[in-house]
Amino acid sequence: MKRILSAGFRLSLFTLIFAASPLLAQKSKPTKIKAAALQVEMIQSDEIKLPAEFQVALYENLIRQLEKNGFSHVYRDGDRNAASVADRVVLHSTVRGFKAGSERVRQVTTVSGATSITVHCQFTRADGTSLLERDVNGKVRFFGGNLKATYDFAKKAAHVANENFSMAGRE
Amino acid sequence: MISRSTTVLVGVASLFAGLAIPVANAQQVSGPVRVVQLTGLVGVKDNAKGTLSVESGNLHFVHGKTSWDVNAASIQDVATAEDSQRAVGGTIGLMSMAAPYGGGRVLSLFRTKIDTLTVLYRDADGGLHGAIFTMPVGTADVIKKVLVAQGAHTTATGDSTPAATSSTSSKEQKQ
Repeated sequence: MKRILSAGFRLSLFTLIFAASPLLAQKSKPTKIKAAALQVEMIQSDEIKLPAEFQVALYENLIRQLEKNGFSHVYRDGDRNAASVADRVVLHSTVRGFKAGSERVRQVTTVSGATSITVHCQFTRADGTSLLERDVNGKVRFFGGNLKATYDFAKKAAHVANENFSMAGRE
Repeated sequence: MISRSTTVLVGVASLFAGLAIPVANAQQVSGPVRVVQLTGLVGVKDNAKGTLSVESGNLHFVHGKTSWDVNAASIQDVATAEDSQRAVGGTIGLMSMAAPYGGGRVLSLFRTKIDTLTVLYRDADGGLHGAIFTMPVGTADVIKKVLVAQGAHTTATGDSTPAATSSTSSKEQKQ
């Protein structure tokens, strides 16, 4: 009987520790930077030669994913309405790496032909003060067209924005 | 009596003819072109099928009963590229992956050539938008020429050359 009680005590102690660990981890998360709006600049690829459709797909998917992640005020490159928004964060994206890959090779071999894109994302204030810099990559390894890599990038970049920035109306 | 080998031969010839005929037909464009809007137009679902034409200074896309117009003068850049897509795609293409003895993989070797048209334009507030269309081979350059003639801007001068920062126009880049 005593052994059962002791085992039960240990079990509940372990449960408490494991349940408490995520709560403790949440406390150590960095505080989110507050922003009234997010403006996405056009994807730059001065050093890497990137096909036009990839450049556009990166840009459009990025805006769509940011809006999906709850950023209610996402402005496009050149939008005049953004200029009047104080406390605006601007996202500059520069392509650092690109491997075109091939859907045909992926489907035939399964192991090769992956498409990958690496984009350097820089979040700045409107005055140019840097807030956060991160390299984000997008890949398509098995199924789907090459442009799917841009969707993968957009999802990851939106996740980075979501983790580090908070906007009015969302946390 | 038709021998089995003759039947197979006719079947294979029909398949290749089916792949080649769209290429031959696509060289001339008269009227709207059947396209797939991959992404970019506001309010249009990705991979929406429709028709694309250039009418009275506007790039005109029709999907179902609704239509979208982009003024040629607001177009910052037009780029065309060659591409290819699976001849057997969609659900059947996906299901074929489960075919025994690599049958699905053989099917994925058959691809049809297509053109892509990438358009960068600004809305009324100055916001930059991009739209990507796929269409039968040979039609993208014609649409580009008409757009440029009606006031659209382009940074690429030659045919089938992606604009701005892009210069590689290898096949299969997109699909």
